[in-house]
This record gives sequence, C-alpha cells and structure tokens, in this order.
Amino acid sequence: MITLGLLEKNTFLEAVNKKSGTNVLECYQCGKCVSTCPVSGYMDFPPREIMQMIKLGLKEECYMANSMWFCLTCSACSGRCPREIDVPAVMEAIRHLAIEENYRSENKKVKDIRKFHDIFLDMIKRYGRNYELRMMAEFNIRTRNLFKDMHLAPKALLKGKIPIGHESTKSAKAIQKMYKLAEKLEKDMK
Amino acid sequence: MNKLTYFPGCSAHGTSEEFDHTLKLVMQTLDVQMEEIPDWNCCGATSAHVMTENLALALPMRNLVLAERLENKTMGIACASCYSRMKGTKKHLDENPELARRINTTVIDEGEYKGTIDIKSMLQYCYEEIGLETIKSKVTKSLSGLKVACYYGCLLTRPKDITLFDSPEYPMSMDLLMEALGAKAMEFDFKTECCGASFSISNTEVVESLSGKILEVAKESGAHLIVVACPLCQSNLDMRQPDIEKHTGRKFDLPVMYFTQLMALAFGYPEKELKLPKHIVSVEAALKHIGEAIPEPEKVKKIKKAVEAESEVE
Ligand code: SF4
Ligand code: SF4
Repeated sequence: MITLGLLEKNTFLEAVNKKSGTNVLECYQCGKCVSTCPVSGYMDFPPREIMQMIKLGLKEECYMANSMWFCLTCSACSGRCPREIDVPAVMEAIRHLAIEENYRSENKKVKDIRKFHDIFLDMIKRYGRNYELRMMAEFNIRTRNLFKDMHLAPKALLKGKIPIGHESTKSAKAIQKMYKLAEKLEKDMK
Repeated sequence: MNKLTYFPGCSAHGTSEEFDHTLKLVMQTLDVQMEEIPDWNCCGATSAHVMTENLALALPMRNLVLAERLENKTMGIACASCYSRMKGTKKHLDENPELARRINTTVIDEGEYKGTIDIKSMLQYCYEEIGLETIKSKVTKSLSGLKVACYYGCLLTRPKDITLFDSPEYPMSMDLLMEALGAKAMEFDFKTECCGASFSISNTEVVESLSGKILEVAKESGAHLIVVACPLCQSNLDMRQPDIEKHTGRKFDLPVMYFTQLMALAFGYPEKELKLPKHIVSVEAALKHIGEAIPEPEKVKKIKKAVEAESEVE
C-alpha cells in the first residue's frame, strides 16, 4: 500500500541515504543489479524493487523483507550499476535500521541467518577469535537441528579439517571491553 | 630480506591450516620474513557488519592499531574476507577522521589509530610486491601438464575502490601466477561469482546452488582442479562438494587447492608439506597430470591452419 502523499517528507529515504552514503534517488530502475545478483531469486524483493520501495517510503515492507538478510555483500551489483549506487550499503542500511527499530521477520531463513550472526558475535566476545566447529555445533543446537551437517563431521574431524579444541587468546579481555564501549557509543549516538 | 606484517585470520588455525602452513613455506623461499600481529583478534568478518556499525569498525581497528606499533608498514592478509573487512574499514576511517576518533574510544588501551598501514591480500602481495619473474626463478618443479581453474571469489577484487587490485570482472593475477609455475590456467567464466560465502552454515541451500554452478563451469573448462585464495571459498567448494554431487546427480571430482599449496609444490617442497589429507575431495589423481603434455586444442589448430592458408593466398 502506498501511503506517501506528494507533500509528505520521505524520512525513510533520508535515513537510508544518510546511513548508506549513497543516493537511492539516482536509481533509474534498469534492473542490472537484479540480473547480476546471485541471490536475487531468493529475495522477497530483488535490489531494483527495494530501491523503488525506498523511494516510495515503504519502510515496513522493506524492514520485513528477507532481501537485506540474503544479501551476501558480494558487490557484484554495485560494480555494474550504471548509476554507481552502492547497493550492498543500501541493503546494510535497511538491515541496521530494522534492527535499531526492532523489526523482526518471522521468516525461518531470516531467523536462522540472524541466529548465526548472533552466535558468531558471541563467540568473538567470549574468545576474541572464532572457532568454526563450536560455532557449527552451537548453531545446530540453537536452531534445534542437531543432525544438520552431522554426516560431514566425522570426515572433517578425521581429516583434521575442523579442530576440536580452541586456544584462549589474550585479546578476549580487550574485546569484552570493546563490546561494552561500543554499546555505550551506540547509545550515546542516539 | 623483505618484512611483512601478517594477519592470519581465525580460520588459519582451523579449517585453512594448510593455507597458513604453505604460505609460510613459500614466503621463506621468497625471502620474506613474516611477523604475526601479536595478540590479534577476529576482524568480525561475515557477521559484525551485518548486525552492528560500531563493532564492525572497532574489531578491525584494534588489529590495525596493533599493526601500526610494528616497524614494518605493509600488512599481508591470507583470508579474502578478513582482507575485505580490514581494508574497507581502513578506507572508511581514513576518509572520516571524526568517525575514526569516535571508534577509537572503544579501542583505548591499544593506542591511537594513525592509518599508516598498507593492506594487501597475499595474492596481491605475491603479484605486486614480489613479482612473477622472482616467483618463476624459484620454481624447481614445473607444474606443466596441470590444468587449473583460478577462482577469485568476490572479495579479492571487489569493490574495486577498496581493493584497488586487478579486474573486478575478469581478474588475471592468479592465472598468470599459475602460468609462472608452469601450470595451464583455463578460461573460466565464473572466476568472480559468489560461492555463497558466509551462508556456509546458516543457509546451506544457497551455498550448494551457487557453489554447484561454479563447480559445473570449472568442470566444463577442462581443469583438473580449482585454485583459490580464500578459506571460505575453499570450504564451500571442497567440503560441500559431495553434497552438491548428491543433490545434482553430477560428478565433479574437482579438488580445491590454495594457490600457496601449488607454489610450495613448484618450489620443490615435498608433497607431505601440502597437508593433502585435509582435503575432502582427494587431490592425488589431479596432481598426477603434472608432466603430461597438453595437446593443442582442436579449435586453436583450426584457426592456425586457416591463418596459414590465408597468408599463402596473399
Ligand atoms: S543497477 Fe543501479 S540503477 Fe539499475 S536498477 Fe539496480 S540500483 Fe537501480
Ligand atoms: S551485494 Fe547483495 S544485492 Fe548485490 S549482488 Fe551481491 S548479494 Fe546481490
């Protein structure tokens, strides 16, 4: 539903432009990004449509879409965009705004992807570094899918592909402090 | 002797140990002394930038500040994902001093960020700093007969204003490097297509689809194996290959090796140094092609004949 009156200010567009450092209005809807994007087929709205939705101020529709969660930041689209729009930066801006404004999609894939990133960040906070096997195991536990990839595990472990143990780094303490300060900074900025 | 500050990235001590190990061997041969950043941390790649703005910059910034304390000012990064994050962060910070100052408040104990480090991927370092001629001069066992498909993935050459390296569409640096080792780099159109990268765990369906296409095109190129420069690409193409084969019903049998493994081999290191048993798709059969003669393709023969015939007419 388009609710934008002609004289209404498009604050969503402004917010996205500011965060992404790119001007979405420059997009002339050629669709080159869509044909370039390796995951546009999985997106609720491919990049070109997202651009138009931003121009129309369709904030909630953008926030609830899976598009920005599926974007791999591969920069294939922006490299080919004739208007030199930084599409992954736009995707990132929408994602960050959606997180800030507490929008949560109930889409199973989006939930999985978010959970993965939460675990990843948690892991860095705890150890200063990232340990792949632990992460895989935690992801499977937290998505209640214990046996996912289990067929890969024996072979990968046997071949020493994924080590079981992990080193504790000195950096862990510094990182915990950084997380706290970064959180504070985020609040101060608001 | 050249000095290089080294950022290995988390997977160097995990899934990509063979990359880290052979890289160190190769650098030894090339007379480069690598100094690992003491007490480095995860750069946050794949996740920090997805979820937060400040942490995404703060995590790489800490590594940059630690690196600035070392004498040498060039940093080499093994993993393409770390490379992209660190170099992207540096650009962002250098262009926005106010932002740099703000983020620096989360990295107070380590010191002030100055922006004095030059960042290169290890492929870029080999190509630009060491040079193909020097590399060629160290080859004691030519890889002639081996046909390879060089896969760069997204982040080594894109976005081009961050990487400032090679072509974002059809890069050639790794191809030329392989040719310097004696191998034959095949024409391969999916060089810079995305493998699904960070969805390796959270969205395997997408990884299998994207990596499957890359394997298919690499197979069609006639290559015996795929060469990569990134741990994520390696594990997506290698570890997921049996599943992709099962789900598509196609047999690829394409080993996926790091460019440094092939360099080490060509520099005369024994095979056991390559840590080949770590590969899920076995490498041995592909390496047997080394030393074989590669016949000229029919297409080329035809063209040559036509050109000759034409010049005779003239
Ligand atoms: S390629 Fe650029 S101009 Fe064309 S539709 Fe996509 S964002 Fe818009
Ligand atoms: S950066 Fe995102 S939107 Fe652009 S091509 Fe890659 S996955 Fe698609």
